[in-house]
Amino acid sequence: MANVRFRRIEGNSAQYYMFMAVAGAVAAMAPLSALYMFVNGHHVTGMTNQVPWGMPIVMAIYLIGASAGSLVLSAMSSVFGKTEYQPFARIAALLAILLIVAALMAIIMDWGRPDRILVPFFHFQPRSMFSLNAILYNSYMLVGFLYLLAQFKESKFWKKALGIAAVFIAVGVHSGTGAIFGFVFVRELYNSPLLPPSFIAAALSSGTALMILILYATFRATGRLLDEKLLHGMGRLMGVFMLVVIYFLFIENVTRGYAPKNYEAASFLLLHGGKYTAMFWIGLVLCGLVIPSLIVFNPSTGKSTPWLLFASALQLAGVLFERYIIVIPAQVMPLELFSDKQVTSVFLDGRYANYSISPVEYAYSIGLFGVVIFGFGLAVKFWAMIPEEARFPEDVK
Amino acid sequence: MSVDRRDFLKIGAVMAAGTIAPAISGAAGQDEEGASSKNLWGMVIDINKCDPECTACYDACRKENNVPHFPEPELDIHWIRKIKFKQRGVPNAEERSMPAMCFHCEHPPCAHVCPVAATFKRADGIVLIDKHRCIGCRYCMVACPYKARSFVSKHVEHQPGENPESPIRMHGVVEKCDLCVHRIDQGKQPACVEACKKTGGGGMVFGDLNDPKSEVSGIVRSSRATQIRADLGLNPRVFYLGV
Ligand code: SF4
Ligand code: SF4
Repeated sequence: MANVRFRRIEGNSAQYYMFMAVAGAVAAMAPLSALYMFVNGHHVTGMTNQVPWGMPIVMAIYLIGASAGSLVLSAMSSVFGKTEYQPFARIAALLAILLIVAALMAIIMDWGRPDRILVPFFHFQPRSMFSLNAILYNSYMLVGFLYLLAQFKESKFWKKALGIAAVFIAVGVHSGTGAIFGFVFVRELYNSPLLPPSFIAAALSSGTALMILILYATFRATGRLLDEKLLHGMGRLMGVFMLVVIYFLFIENVTRGYAPKNYEAASFLLLHGGKYTAMFWIGLVLCGLVIPSLIVFNPSTGKSTPWLLFASALQLAGVLFERYIIVIPAQVMPLELFSDKQVTSVFLDGRYANYSISPVEYAYSIGLFGVVIFGFGLAVKFWAMIPEEARFPEDVK
Repeated sequence: MSVDRRDFLKIGAVMAAGTIAPAISGAAGQDEEGASSKNLWGMVIDINKCDPECTACYDACRKENNVPHFPEPELDIHWIRKIKFKQRGVPNAEERSMPAMCFHCEHPPCAHVCPVAATFKRADGIVLIDKHRCIGCRYCMVACPYKARSFVSKHVEHQPGENPESPIRMHGVVEKCDLCVHRIDQGKQPACVEACKKTGGGGMVFGDLNDPKSEVSGIVRSSRATQIRADLGLNPRVFYLGV
């Protein structure tokens, strides 16, 4: 295997500064909208006492997923011996770190009291999935960082050791994130032992999709050579991950729908939930999974880069829908105090709630993407992240 | 390259500190603290005495605890609320009502999920929120099966005529019924129970479940009393008669 040479980008062009200015402005939307939420109170968002978790939590688990997926991809070369991925190891590790940073921002800035950021450092509740995840996320960031550092050293041992640690902890982080919801036993649409593993599957598929798009864009923008065969291989990998997602989705919903006590929950999500049902079938299943799978497994479109980029974009959007469907509908459904009685109250008991994303939450969410892109643009200028060229190994020999 | 590495190490050190700190302080998070485990406070509500139009408990709670009223029903804060219900599938079923609040569960999922142990259970069974510790993450609201918790999503100002014995509600944190812990600690009954006796139907009985001679434990022992969603296994300390 030829040695991959990495080089910083110059980053002196007018385009670069333009790009960074736009990315910076978008990134600033995240903290600014968080400040707006904090100063006014959460009543400026779409979140209510009926639906206490909204778009910020959706974004958090989306970004965590993409992060775990990127880190596993990065470790492909050092841990799983897939040497053709070596050129992307640094970019993927960098992205993993940036995505987890953005995810933590998404969580913390959504607190009612982000000014109490230090409180979790002094109080810990071992039974709380949030508390355990705080440790997992921090360790994950640390390991991800050391792993990235190891990429700059020519030590096969450290690359591999930290790569293995990174893969384990990425799986842990994602299981923990799934468990935040899976352990909530009072809400039928959350409570499921399958949530942790299906979270990992969606993390891998969306992480791969993101990498395909970012790699293409990065090599294009920097004018460096990227053998598209590499992308097509990643496309097939994404396809396999998508099949796993489909499998989990199928098992989870069939198991849930089988129990009479869950008829209402299952039919709400799958049949009469209005926009949520539409997001499930059209956003997630059709656009996010079925169409991109057909594209990557079809021999002709699977080897066409434009098609592949299209499939990746669809999959990325599909997983965003998936995250939304995980977080929101379970809260929209009324909590049943009695299984045999129709209930009403001034606090809207017994009624389906309504949640729609408010403008400030849109700004918040888009801003988080900006944070990742801005960080990426900055890092590739100061550190040698991007290879001078990425070729398929056989072609190098 | 060496400069790169030094920068990296600096950031790494900061992150390492962030990882280790919570683990060191991890001794906290105990389930029960404060008060005395001699008592176990609980309540029985006889809904046969509860008129659907009566709001005595609801009004008294708002006044006692300075619970503000927000005009939007989905944002309003409820420490106690009146629930009306009808048997499903029975034509012309009679409408009945009952108050519902935090049931002070023996196994409170709200406390279990709270990442900073801001929600905790006192030794006398009262589930409380330390509003100076709560970070407002709202995990507890997602986990409580009884919708007993409200997030204060607006700033609340001091009002003329507010109860000086209670603080005003704090924006950005989650709040709920504390069983009028300030009154219990003075040997008094919760405000809702007192109001129900005075101007309502008198169906609320409050007392010590540990005391075999108390009225509440007598009724609970009679096994006519039921818990809401007993299937969840949380063992709420608010019981109902006639549901
Ligand atoms: S009723 Fe809800 S808020 Fe009260 S202790 Fe039980 S779970 Fe917690
Ligand atoms: S909102 Fe407050 S009380 Fe509820 S889980 Fe979060 S920190 Fe605990």
